[in-house]
Amino acid sequence: MFNEYALHHAWLIPLLPAIAFVVIGFFLRKSPVLSAFLAITMSMVSFILSLGVGYGVVVQHITVEHPLIDKIPWVDIAGLSINMGMYIDPVSALMLFIVTLVSLLVQIYAVGYMKGDDGFGRFFAYLSLFAATMLGLIIAVNFVQMFIFWELVGLCSYLLIGYYFHKPSACEASKKAFMTTRIGDFGLLLGILLLQIVFGTLDFAQLTIAIPEYVQQYGTGVLTVAALLIFAGPIAKSGQFPLHVWLPDAMEGPTPVSALIHAATMVVAGVYLVVRVFFLYSMLPNVMLIIAWVGGFTACFAATIAITQQDIKRILAYSTISQLGYMMLALGVGSVTASMFHLMTHAFFKALMFLAAGSVMHGLHDKGNIFEMGGLRHKMPITFAAMTIGVLAISGIPPFAGFFSKDEILLAVSEVSAPLYIIAVVTAFMTAFYMFRLLFLVFCGPEKPENNPHEAPSTMKFSLIILSIFAIIGGYIPHVYHFGEWIRFGDASHEGLNWTIAATSMVLSVLAMALAWLIYGSGKVSPDRLAMRFSTLYNVSYHKYYIDELYLWLNYTFVRGFGKILYWLDLYIVDGIVNGLAKLTYRMGDELRQWQTGYLQQYGLILFGAILIMVVWLVITAPISMASLRGGAY
Amino acid sequence: MDDLVYTIAFYILAAITIASAIGVVTKHNLVHSALLMALCFIGISGLYVLLQADFLAAVQILVYSGAVAILIVLGIMLTQRRSMENTNPNSGWPRGAAVVCALLFVVILIVIAATPWHYSSSMAAQDTPSVLARLLFTDYMVAFEAAAVLLLAAMMGAIVLAKGGEEK
Amino acid sequence: MNITLLTSEIAIICLSLLIIILDLLLPRFETRRSLGYLAAAGVAGVFAYTCTQYGVSATVYQGLFTLDSFALFFKQIFLLAILLTLLFSFDYVEGLAKYQGEFYALLLLAVAGMMIMASANDLLTVFIGTELMTVTFYILVGYQFNSSKSSEAGMKYMILGSVSSAVLLYGVSWVYGCTGSIVFEQIAKHANTSLGMLFGFGLIVAGLFFKMALIPFHMWAPEIYEGAPTPITAMLSMGSKVAGLAVLLRMVFIAFVPMQAYWGGIVSIIAAITMIGGTVIAMWQTNIKRMMAYSSITQAGYMIVGLLSADASGIKSVLFYAMLYMFANVGVFATIIAVKKHHGSNEIKDFSGLAQQSPLLAVVMTVSLLSMAGIPPMAGFAGKLYVFSTVIEKGYLWLGLLGFVMSMISVYYYLNVTKVIYMNEPCVQKEFIVSQPLRIAALISLLATLWIGIYPGPLAELANTAARSLSIL
Repeated sequence: MFNEYALHHAWLIPLLPAIAFVVIGFFLRKSPVLSAFLAITMSMVSFILSLGVGYGVVVQHITVEHPLIDKIPWVDIAGLSINMGMYIDPVSALMLFIVTLVSLLVQIYAVGYMKGDDGFGRFFAYLSLFAATMLGLIIAVNFVQMFIFWELVGLCSYLLIGYYFHKPSACEASKKAFMTTRIGDFGLLLGILLLQIVFGTLDFAQLTIAIPEYVQQYGTGVLTVAALLIFAGPIAKSGQFPLHVWLPDAMEGPTPVSALIHAATMVVAGVYLVVRVFFLYSMLPNVMLIIAWVGGFTACFAATIAITQQDIKRILAYSTISQLGYMMLALGVGSVTASMFHLMTHAFFKALMFLAAGSVMHGLHDKGNIFEMGGLRHKMPITFAAMTIGVLAISGIPPFAGFFSKDEILLAVSEVSAPLYIIAVVTAFMTAFYMFRLLFLVFCGPEKPENNPHEAPSTMKFSLIILSIFAIIGGYIPHVYHFGEWIRFGDASHEGLNWTIAATSMVLSVLAMALAWLIYGSGKVSPDRLAMRFSTLYNVSYHKYYIDELYLWLNYTFVRGFGKILYWLDLYIVDGIVNGLAKLTYRMGDELRQWQTGYLQQYGLILFGAILIMVVWLVITAPISMASLRGGAY
Repeated sequence: MDDLVYTIAFYILAAITIASAIGVVTKHNLVHSALLMALCFIGISGLYVLLQADFLAAVQILVYSGAVAILIVLGIMLTQRRSMENTNPNSGWPRGAAVVCALLFVVILIVIAATPWHYSSSMAAQDTPSVLARLLFTDYMVAFEAAAVLLLAAMMGAIVLAKGGEEK
Repeated sequence: MNITLLTSEIAIICLSLLIIILDLLLPRFETRRSLGYLAAAGVAGVFAYTCTQYGVSATVYQGLFTLDSFALFFKQIFLLAILLTLLFSFDYVEGLAKYQGEFYALLLLAVAGMMIMASANDLLTVFIGTELMTVTFYILVGYQFNSSKSSEAGMKYMILGSVSSAVLLYGVSWVYGCTGSIVFEQIAKHANTSLGMLFGFGLIVAGLFFKMALIPFHMWAPEIYEGAPTPITAMLSMGSKVAGLAVLLRMVFIAFVPMQAYWGGIVSIIAAITMIGGTVIAMWQTNIKRMMAYSSITQAGYMIVGLLSADASGIKSVLFYAMLYMFANVGVFATIIAVKKHHGSNEIKDFSGLAQQSPLLAVVMTVSLLSMAGIPPMAGFAGKLYVFSTVIEKGYLWLGLLGFVMSMISVYYYLNVTKVIYMNEPCVQKEFIVSQPLRIAALISLLATLWIGIYPGPLAELANTAARSLSIL
């Protein structure tokens, strides 16, 4: 019964946090206890509902081929009909589960983390707004709904990165995030418009049917363009190269935000979008190849940067970029199953690591440099355990969650492309290396006397423990219960583990761990000497390949150049005219000069000149121009 | 014979109208301009007579030459200055204005020449005031009443603007 | 003949006369705020009455004046505009040195002119309605007697406005000469595409473009917007522009239907120039009213784009846009008035720290500006979506793309204001007073903008009904 109710009222899942946002934003902002209570209650109900949805999907045999679609007309006028509604299939049900779970846990965590902050109520209002918009995005039935919520989650991200608005770096970071993602959104919007022009509909269900027919009739030319334009959105939102630059800076936001938005949920919206419109991408092998290479390159590229970073949250941010690259890579080689699987496990262990990092920073009074930490395992045992589980999971050590999903990706990649497989394996090696580096530097070694760490409060511990459980079993349980039969595109391709691949990656991870222990744990090899030895490589990686500098330079050159042209126009043309007018008027009598009659006559002259041109145009050229302006096609 | 008289009268009136209109713009003394404008209005009313629009001609003389032009002259008198020289100077761009006007004129000429005109065969109405009055109070009632409101607004505006600025 | 069709116009004019009389009866030094309340209440009553009139389609006096859903839709825009403008300008009017009662009366007369324009079905009524509106505005623009800027603006507006009226009238005479009629339906019946007809049509359209301040007929707008009292600027930008649009729509789609092939080119070029020019120049403005002048020029450019599709969905998109444009304008101008009261000037930098002084107005201003920029979920997004999707369907892809690019650029200067509001510290530390009526007007604008943006269905449906009542199509 409950699953029935939940399925048909799935729209309540985004609505409840939205209500929380409105109520907190308008009435409860001043009361921390009430606002946190309301936000968490609403999240809790949403979570229970999405559990019901998940159960309902299983019981009622809703599959990716037969989704449950329920929609109401939002705009329905001649020529344009847009619906709002919900699209429930196993994929969206899984996403609902992940997002509501992580957002619930992060909110509970934030009660302890944000305690005493001036904007406590505001923070929970934003978090609720984010949850509402992200859940709305997940159940989108068409591109319009998707785009609207896509923009809204971007807005929430902007608001939350700039949460500490008195910090200039936070304001800068929020602006950077907003502007960078806008670039991608621009492409996305163009792509959507193109689809609307070609198909006359943006409904996912209708497009699923229409696109294969279209491809058979007309080929893939236009669709390739549309698909690439749409992919610009995920590139920006999911931090793929070259638009990844905003994500590390986004760590200026409070840590719970980093965990929720910039690790577990919003950044995977790009991956989810590609999954949602996989009916389009699966038709276009060339585009798939591009996606695979973008993902693979990003994964490897971000991992090389993460190796030398020193800020705990930045390391995690680059690791997030790298793992998102993994998911894209999996999509590019055609495995929705592997990608979504990794999306889920990543949400668990990355949120866990961020929350653990937040706990560390909380204990150390917002210190972020890992070289200034050390020996925290004694004073913060729970945090240490949580972080260890997270690191083991991301490194792909069995039986932790990451092992299964990573193996699935490697398997899918190995079947398609050898070079990409090598890249993926190398990335896995580097990932294990820098994650253990972080773990050893922060928790092992001698304690630093200037630090005075303390363990996190109970609400934070609670979230850490729950997420740890998910990070341990989140891979094995789905693996056993045939994850791939539900979450897939086309036929199910879920086989058992491929032990060759699994063993390779496991051995490499253990090797990476040993290497990290040599350098950072035991102190046998000095990291400084290594850095000196490979100073060029070290510098390039440490400065993130100078991409930020490159963008700054490009921005400076082009935007300033354009500005200069405009300035020149203003100086010589506009000012020239204005000054000329001023001179002319100056000659006239005092009285008249004050009334600026010269200008008025000028206006009259321009008015008549315009009328003249218009009338002549109308009389002489109208019929001819008409045909050419309309472009003939319609 | 009649035709010839009409034609000659038309050209004389047209010449007076255009010449005085040009004078309004080019004269440097504002009083001269105002008087030339009255003359221009009279020329136009002559043209109305030729078109057998007797009522319109009378109104033209009464309202425009009689009231409007005189009001302007009155206004000039009230804002008296020492010398009337150069009270009506040229605009900043006389050449540009001349070019635009000339071009517009040419365009209008071309359009007139190229348009196939219909000529009404019906006789002109004899008793124009009563015909006009009937139209104004039946078909054009809304426009007529709106014009009344417009006059009210203009009157209020004149009072407000004239008295508003006089004392600070 | 059914005189009741004129009820709303008559009511507004009577209300205006009543205010003049009461103004005489009130003691000399008494505040005229009560008259303002009376005007607002009367307008609200008339607005409520117009809501009952939908579905009517009838004419009085041989089709010279028509009342259909199309006219009603526009009348409601004007009535809402004046109602909200009255609400946010009580304080402003109280600050006027004298003739506060006449201010309200004249404002109502201007609205009567607009309402006549919306219903006018012949060129003479169009002309008289237009004159009633503009002559009243000439006076109102110069209403700040102690400000030379205001007087100068009034003077300039009168001269340039008369020129444009003359152009309009001259065009009317040409059309009459070619067709022998000034009633729209008759014109359509006798219309030909002779040069004379095209010439007359061009002149009429030029006159209307002047009222709507489209580039290159916009020269008057920035200075007059800047010089005029702010409530009048608001009404100029909402009323004058939208009334011109109403006339243009009815005229083009009833009287000049046979010439559709001819005006497409003109309108698309002018729309393009207007969108580009308005956007580019607005970026340089430091005065908020001047910026709004250019912004409203650009917005008019977006609106006439909808003409090009020349069918019911195109007209619908224009109507829809006009309504949301009105709401966005109310929000912006209400804020401008409040800030002006606080700082005494209209520079953009005066908005510094508004977010701390009055969070409500900061939000209203931001939402209204973003609505004009076309950012979802504000109403402007839905409006632009309608306008551009209909013309793209008709093959004007380049215009759609241009409009899209220009909206993106316009975000820059709209966000500039928002940035000042949120990022800068307030420069004057004194209490920021927001009067209750102004707060109500701002709130209505905010809610309407968000509501239309999130759920445009009902308004779109209404606009569609109105568009279809222009039944020639």
